Amino acid sequence: MNGIHDLGGMHGLGPIRPEPDEPVFHEDWERRVFGLMVATFGGGQYNVDEFRHAIERMDPAHYLESSYYEHWLSAVETLLVEKGVLSADELAARKAELAREAA
Amino acid sequence: MPVLTRDMVPGLVATGGSCRVAAEVPPKFAPGDQIQVRNINPVRHTRLPRYVRGKRGVVERDHGVFVFPDTSAHGQGEKPQHVYSVRFAARELWGADAANKDHLYIDLWDDYMERA
Repeated sequence: MNGIHDLGGMHGLGPIRPEPDEPVFHEDWERRVFGLMVATFGGGQYNVDEFRHAIERMDPAHYLESSYYEHWLSAVETLLVEKGVLSADELAARKAELAREAA
Repeated sequence: MPVLTRDMVPGLVATGGSCRVAAEVPPKFAPGDQIQVRNINPVRHTRLPRYVRGKRGVVERDHGVFVFPDTSAHGQGEKPQHVYSVRFAARELWGADAANKDHLYIDLWDDYMERA
């Protein structure tokens, strides 16, 4: 797929600045996304190639604006819906519930 | 449905789960072979980056047999095949402005290459 993920040779994205003493997770939600991925991948819901392809299929603008673990979250959501583990409605309902709790 | 059990977790977290396959598959190429990368543009999954498509390189090392991502991502089986480290001159990839001595090594599956 000739998608936005295939960045090799592109110009204008700025320098790569390695972070000194980079933590494993920058936010606590990233830790949970890591666990979600390990549980669903290790539990056999999808393979690594399906996972990578789900990331490639993200909206290109969202892909560029979102972090590494947000890519993971997007892929887990996409695959669990496609595999029939969750429905898109269930996902939307839970997101709305969390948004209400946070407000 | 398969279930993730506690004993599976440390290995999975440490190694990420290998895609190496314990299958006897004859290699199509050997170290030293001159190859040309196929120019393919599948709308589905591939791990062949655009910047090496159609380019010529040399097989440096045979890594062994691995799952083929292009089929595995679409429920079409593992299609196990050899993966090689392939060396490309920077000038082959980026043209005359690239440094003369620079080279890039990239891992490529059998199905991505033909003999040059």
